[in-house]
Amino acid sequence: MSEAPVSDQATHMSPDRSAMARLSGSITPGVTAGILVAVLMFMPYLLGGSWTFTLGLCFANSIGVLAVSLLVRYGGEVSIGHTFFTALGAYSVGVLDTRYGISLWASVPLALCLGVTLGLLFAWPSRNLHGIYLAVTTLALALAVPEMINNFDALTGGYEGLYVATPFIPGASMGLQRYYVALAMLVIVCFAVARLRLSRQGMALLLAKTHPAAADAFGTRRVWARISIMGISGGIGALCGATLAFSGSTVSPGGFTFWQAIFLLVGSVVSFYGLSLPRVLIGGAFVTLVPQLLSSSGAWIPVFYGLALLGMILLGHYMPRIRKAMARKSETA
Amino acid sequence: MTFWDSLIYDLFPLMWSGMITGCLYALGALGLVMIFKCSKVVNFSHGNVAGLTAFLVYGLSSGVLMSLSWGAAVLVAMLAAVAIAFLIYSIISPLVFESDLTSTIATLGFGLIAQGVTLLMFGADIVALDLPIPRFAFSVLGLLVTGYDLTVLAVAIVTIGALFIVIDYTKLGIAFRAISENPFAAEVCGLNLKSVHYFAWITAAILGVIGALLIVPTTFLSVTTVATFMLQAFAAAVIGGFASLPGALVGGVLIGVLMNLFTFYVSPEYSSTFLLGVILLALNIFPNGILQNVGGSRV
Amino acid sequence: MMDQQTHALRGEGIALSFGGIKVLKGLDVEFRAGEITGLIGPNGAGKTSLFNCLTGAYSPQEGTISYAGEPLNGLPPAARAAKGIVRSFQHVALCPDLTVRENVMMGIARNGTAGWFSAFLPLTKGIREREEMARAADAALADLGLPDVGDKFPGELPPGMQRLVEIARAVVGKPSVLMLDEPAAGLNNSETRDLTAVLRKLASTDLVMVVVEHDMDLVMSICDRIYVLNFGEFVAVGSPGEVRTNDDVVRIYLGSDDDE
Ligand SMILES: Nc1ncnc2c1ncn2[C@@H]1O[C@H](COP(=O)(O)OP(=O)(O)OP(=O)(O)O)[C@@H](O)[C@H]1O
Ligand SMILES: [Mg+2]
Repeated sequence: MSEAPVSDQATHMSPDRSAMARLSGSITPGVTAGILVAVLMFMPYLLGGSWTFTLGLCFANSIGVLAVSLLVRYGGEVSIGHTFFTALGAYSVGVLDTRYGISLWASVPLALCLGVTLGLLFAWPSRNLHGIYLAVTTLALALAVPEMINNFDALTGGYEGLYVATPFIPGASMGLQRYYVALAMLVIVCFAVARLRLSRQGMALLLAKTHPAAADAFGTRRVWARISIMGISGGIGALCGATLAFSGSTVSPGGFTFWQAIFLLVGSVVSFYGLSLPRVLIGGAFVTLVPQLLSSSGAWIPVFYGLALLGMILLGHYMPRIRKAMARKSETA
Repeated sequence: MTFWDSLIYDLFPLMWSGMITGCLYALGALGLVMIFKCSKVVNFSHGNVAGLTAFLVYGLSSGVLMSLSWGAAVLVAMLAAVAIAFLIYSIISPLVFESDLTSTIATLGFGLIAQGVTLLMFGADIVALDLPIPRFAFSVLGLLVTGYDLTVLAVAIVTIGALFIVIDYTKLGIAFRAISENPFAAEVCGLNLKSVHYFAWITAAILGVIGALLIVPTTFLSVTTVATFMLQAFAAAVIGGFASLPGALVGGVLIGVLMNLFTFYVSPEYSSTFLLGVILLALNIFPNGILQNVGGSRV
Repeated sequence: MMDQQTHALRGEGIALSFGGIKVLKGLDVEFRAGEITGLIGPNGAGKTSLFNCLTGAYSPQEGTISYAGEPLNGLPPAARAAKGIVRSFQHVALCPDLTVRENVMMGIARNGTAGWFSAFLPLTKGIREREEMARAADAALADLGLPDVGDKFPGELPPGMQRLVEIARAVVGKPSVLMLDEPAAGLNNSETRDLTAVLRKLASTDLVMVVVEHDMDLVMSICDRIYVLNFGEFVAVGSPGEVRTNDDVVRIYLGSDDDE
C-alpha cells in the first residue's frame, strides 16, 4: 500500500494557513471569518423562515464536514462512516429532549463525551489499519448505524424518529434559536480547530501524519496519534449530530444512512478538506442544498453528487499542472 | 437425539445455503481483489455498476427497453459493463498513480453516478429477474438441493476456475501477477501497467455481472440490492486480506456461512453490526488475510 | 574519564536481519560522552540501520543496548526520546504543514504539560508554553545560523537549510545522545564549514554525539573516534589518524571507487 496520504493533493493545492497567518501578524483569515460571521448574524432578518431554517442545517452539516476533513488533515485517513458519530450526537439530543425534557445544556456535553468515547473505542481495534483498510472499516461502521437505530427503537423511536422541541433559551423564538445555536456551534468548533493547529498535540499529529518515524523519534507514538484524532473527529461528528437534531428539529434514521456518510465525505472533498470557516461552510452548504434543490428529481441527486465529487478530485489533480504549465508559458513569453 | 436433529435439519442446510451465497460473495470479492491487487484501488463503484447491468438485463429482456432473449440481453449487458469499467478506469488512471486513497474516493463518485443512472432509467421500483434454469429439487441426506443451487455452484466453479487459469497461464495473467508483486520492477521489465489495470478492471466487471445475475433470483432487483450484496463481498475481500485471490474465495464462503448461522441462531436484525465485528476481528487477528499463515496467497 | 564511561551509549552483539539478509552482524559499540564519534562506511553498510536499532525504530534480533548502564531493549522510540536520545534523519523528515519554527518546536513538544483543554481553548498555560517552546526553537535556529526562517515553511527552504532545521530539531531539547545521519548531505562548502563549527560548539562533556557522514573531511576534522562499517561488520575503530592509515579502510574506499 502506498503511503501517500490523501490530503497531499489538497494540502499542496491551497494550504490552510489561517492559523499560521494569524500567528505571523497578518490577520486576514481571522478577519474574513469575522466578517462572515457578522453577515450571517443578520441573515435571519433578510431571509424568510424556511431559508433561515436551511441555513441552520448548513451550519450543522458544516460541522460534520469539518469532522471528516479534520481526520484527513490531521490523521491522513478517510472516513466513510461519520454518520455513526452524527447519529450518536443527534440521538443524545433527541432522547434527552423527548424522554426527559432536558435541553442542550446537558445533551450537547453528553453528545461530545459519547462521540469522543466511541471514537476512541472504534480507534483502538482499528489502530493498525491505514488508508483503504480503515476506509472499508468505517464503511462497515456506517452500515451498522441504521440497523442499531431501528433495533433500539424503544429509545430512538425507530423509523418514526424523535421531535426536538425543548428550547435552549426558554422564551426566545424557536426558529431563531435553531439558527443561532447552529451558528454558534459552528463558530466555536472552527475556533477550537484553529487553536488545535497551534497546540503541541495538533503539531504532533501533523508530524505523525507526514513522518510517523520522525514523530516516533521525538516522542509521539503512532497509536496515540491515531486514537487521539479519531476521538477528536468523533467528538466533532457528534456535535454535528447534536446541532442537526436541534436545528433540524427531527431525528430519524433517514438522516444517518450510508449515503449520508458518503455525502459528508463529498462535502469534505468539495471544500478541499479545508478547516477554515468559509471552507467548511462551502462543504456544509453543498451537503445541505444539493438535495433540497434537486428534491423534485431525486434520481439526479446521486448523479450530481458523483459528478461533483469527481469534478473536484480531477480539478485537484489537474489544477496544479495547468497552473504550472501556464506559469511556464508566461515565463517563456 | 435432538442435537443430531438440529444438526441435520438446521445446521447442515444453513451451511449449505451459506456456502452457495458465499460463492457469489466470492465472485464479487474476486473482482474487488483483482482491482486492488494491481492498482491498489478499492472499487466502491463495483456493486452499483453491477446493479446497473443487472437492471440492463432486466430492461433488455422484459420489454422495458427492448425484448431481446435472455442470452442476448446478458451479452449486451456484459458489453456495457466492460465499457463502463473501461471508462471508469480511463478517467481515474491519472489519479491511480498519484494516490490510492484519492482514486478510491473517486470510485465512490462513479458508484453514486451509477446509482443515479439506474434510478433515472428504471425508477425506484422493485422488479423480478429470474434465471432461465430448470426448476427441480432433490434431497441428499436430508439436504434440499435445488436447481438454483447447482447452477450457482457450477457457474461459480467454472468462472473461478477460468479466472485462475487465465491468471496462471496467459500472458496477461502472468503480467498481472508480476505487477501485483512489484509494479516498479515489472514496469522496468517492459510490462505495461495500464493495460494490465484495464485487464483487471474489465475482468472484475464481468465477475460482478455474473455475481449480480446469480444473486438476484434469491431476492428481487432494486436499486440497492446488488450494492448491498457487494458489501458482503467487501467483507469477504477484507477477511481474505484484500490482496489474495484464494483468500477472497475462502473469505466469501466463510462470510456466507457465518452470516447464515448468525441470522439464524443469534439475530437477523444485527447482520451489519455482525459484519462490522467480523471485519474488525479479522483485520486484527489476520492483518494480511486468513490464508497468510497457510501459505496460500500465491496468486 | 569516569563520566565518559558511565554516560555512554553501548550496544553489545547487535544483530539485525531482514528476511534472512544479515544487515548487522553482531556489532559491539561504545559511544562515549564528551566525544564526537564518527560512523562511516560505504552505501548499504548498515549505518542507518544501526541508528534505527539504537533509537528503537528497529528491534534487533540479538544484542543488548544500554545508555548510562540502563538497558534500553524493548523500549519504544518515544521512551528513548524521553531519555534524551534523539536523532536526525538521512532523508529530511520535516512536516510540510508546520512552519520551520514549529518543526523545531517538535523537538521539545514532548516535554509540554499543557493538556487537551489547552489544545482547544485559548488558556494561558498552553499559550505560555507555546511561547517558551517558540523561544527555545528560535534560539536553536539562531545557533545553527538560521535566525530568520522561523516563519517560513520547510518547502520554501533550499535542501541544505532543511537539513540544518532537522538538526536544530534534534538539538533544541538539549539531548544527552545526539545521532546525526548524514548532516552534511546536500550542503554546499560554506554551509558545511558552518555545520562543522556548530557541531564543535555542540560537543560537551556530557553529550554523546554520533555522526554518520560520507564527507571524509568533515568526519576526520571533528571526530575523536571513528567506527568503520562494511557489510554490517566493523572493519576498523580508532582515532582519525589510525583509521586513515588502516589498510582495510583504504581498500574499502579505494575498492568501492574501482567498482564505480
Ligand atoms: N526496512 C528494511 N527492510 C529491508 N531491508 C532493509 C531495511 N532497512 C535497511 N535495509 C537494508 O539494510 C542494508 C543497510 O541499509 P542502511 O540504510 O542501514 O545502509 P546505510 O549504511 O545507511 O547506507 P547509506 O549510506 O546509503 O545511507 C541495505 O542493504 C538495506 O537494503
Ligand atoms: Mg543511511
